[in-house]
Amino acid sequence: MSEEEGIPSRTAIGISFGNSYSSIAYTTGEGKAEVIANEEGEGEEFNGTQAKAQLVRNPKNTVAYFRDFLGKDFKSIDPTPCHASAHPIEHSSTVAFSIHDTDSESPSTVTVAQITTRHLKRLASSASDFLGKPVTAAVITLPTDFSDAQKSALSDAAKEAGVEVLQFIHEPVAALLAYDARNPETATKDRIVVIADLGGIRSDVVVVASRGGMYSVLATAHDYDLGGSSLDEVLIEHAAKEFLKKNKSAKDPRENERSLAKLKLEAEAAKKALSLGASANFSIESLVDGIDFSLAINRTRFEILASKVFASFTRLVESAVQKADLDPLAIDEIILSGGSSHTPKIAKGLQSHFPESCAVIAPATESTAINPSELAARGAAIQASLIAEFEREDIEQSTHPMVTVTPHLSSAIGVLCSSKSGEEVFQPLIEPETPVPIRRTAQIPAPKEGGDVLVKLCEGVREVKVTKPAPKSKTNGATVADAGSDSEDEGSDDEEEETREKVWKAGSVIAEAGVKGVKKGGKVEVQVNVSVDLSVTLVVREVGGKGGVRGDIEKPETVENGRV
Amino acid sequence: MAATQVSLPLPALPEGWAAEKDFKAIGHLSSATQRNIEPVGPYFLAHARRFGIVKKRHKRTFSEDER
Ligand SMILES: Nc1ncnc2c1ncn2[C@@H]1O[C@H](COP(=O)(O)OP(=O)(O)OP(=O)(O)O)[C@@H](O)[C@H]1O
Ligand SMILES: [Mg+2]
Repeated sequence: MSEEEGIPSRTAIGISFGNSYSSIAYTTGEGKAEVIANEEGEGEEFNGTQAKAQLVRNPKNTVAYFRDFLGKDFKSIDPTPCHASAHPIEHSSTVAFSIHDTDSESPSTVTVAQITTRHLKRLASSASDFLGKPVTAAVITLPTDFSDAQKSALSDAAKEAGVEVLQFIHEPVAALLAYDARNPETATKDRIVVIADLGGIRSDVVVVASRGGMYSVLATAHDYDLGGSSLDEVLIEHAAKEFLKKNKSAKDPRENERSLAKLKLEAEAAKKALSLGASANFSIESLVDGIDFSLAINRTRFEILASKVFASFTRLVESAVQKADLDPLAIDEIILSGGSSHTPKIAKGLQSHFPESCAVIAPATESTAINPSELAARGAAIQASLIAEFEREDIEQSTHPMVTVTPHLSSAIGVLCSSKSGEEVFQPLIEPETPVPIRRTAQIPAPKEGGDVLVKLCEGVREVKVTKPAPKSKTNGATVADAGSDSEDEGSDDEEEETREKVWKAGSVIAEAGVKGVKKGGKVEVQVNVSVDLSVTLVVREVGGKGGVRGDIEKPETVENGRV
Repeated sequence: MAATQVSLPLPALPEGWAAEKDFKAIGHLSSATQRNIEPVGPYFLAHARRFGIVKKRHKRTFSEDER
């Protein structure tokens, strides 16, 4: 098909499809992403705020938390999140629900694929209403560990709903794209970013090397039992205990489905209120046997009650950093995405756990943070606008491993400069984990008096330099005696903390070049070109000068296979 | 991409340093790691375009997407 004939023009949106909530976004004519306020219609499968209310009224016929069942074998799913809603059942090896979704007396069996189709149809139709034209295509966000079978089930379900899936993109990566689209000045800055997508019933973390605006995933970590629901449970437990304290002879509200659903609804509302304010109220009419219940809780109390859950969020992020084989000092930024990222204590916990040099981007820590509940949908909308006019074949080819899998530098490439005290210092020109081919240029001053200058091209690695506080002076004899009798005193005596800083260490030398006769106060321009086979071309010249030096460095003998 | 500005100076050429055309190849880069670039965003599209795959057809990007 030629460009002139064109492809049928699509109206494409971004969809973030979660187990707990879904949201939709589009881009304006100026390329700005906007979230479409989600009016959820009436229906039988639910996802979102109305689902929670529906769970109180009609739990057996409400399908909730179904996304992760899609494209899965019944035997492999974890049905626990559905204990207070329609239970998943086996249906010709896939997952289905038995619900009263018609006026008929007998329930119907609806597969998770059908539920998904209804759900996506509703999302597309609210987007169509909003935009005033039919939405026909979407970019949908998914966790990094969704299998091909799950993706193809979702693709099929979307097709049934009249929505062409242009591309699936990773939820946390969509969040990063949403930020980079808003801050184009910093989008191409080389940095290591951790994105934590903290959802309702699961949480996912990725460590990304962002190089020149391209993202490479270095590691991922998942927790399928950690999310906002874990915090809700803490509040439910607390409220139930307080209720039983006040009403000694009442039944336990956790043991009755309807009472539990009411508690859950109120716990979630209180938790959200505590993200903004210092205190919140539970107020439930007829919690058990006609007894009304009200309870005030403040943020500090909540944070103490939920301290274990908060520690788990920090641990999950930390585990991803460890998997990437990185020191916490290597992390430049932590972006918090997903609804639970509104919770101040999670952001504050990460802020105090990671070094000060690491920016934690969440509503509680950064006034310019984007609403974390909207990040994934925004990123998807931006991607949708970038590819909406591509032909299917182009999209498929550009996402093919032939294009996406490329060699990444294992070390930094840089030059040796002189520090004020005359020592050699490695100055990185290209960061590690940069995909090749790559070209970078730097301008570096010559020594003050000018003259002949050495450009020494090296590899370099990051190291952490630990400076211990000066040991307290003790006489030898006393130290030995102490060690024997009272050894735990050691360390606790030295309360002063060691300082850790990241430094570069020069590795092997790749090449040397001489630039002769640089004028006083002159600068040298160094250009490094790395090709796909890791051969290097170095070009150095005096800025504004004539000539220059150019040399080639051969590729290494073998290319190691990837670790990822 | 614009040139990076480095503030520390380069060292002077050591006494007696000599090389043909003032250039000496000494080693080579360490082997690379194969990784997946996320196929997302304008800079990735520019990368894909360098493979000659994605034809430049879309109009809206949030920034200049060639580098
Ligand atoms: N303001 C808020 N403060 C605290 N928690 C919030 C706030 N807003 C939403 N949440 C919580 O965020 C969670 C939902 O997050 P999100 O919308 O990212 O879920 P999801 O992606 O659909 O779910 P999952 O990741 O489990 O599939 C819920 O537990 C919800 O209570
Ligand atoms: Mg989620």
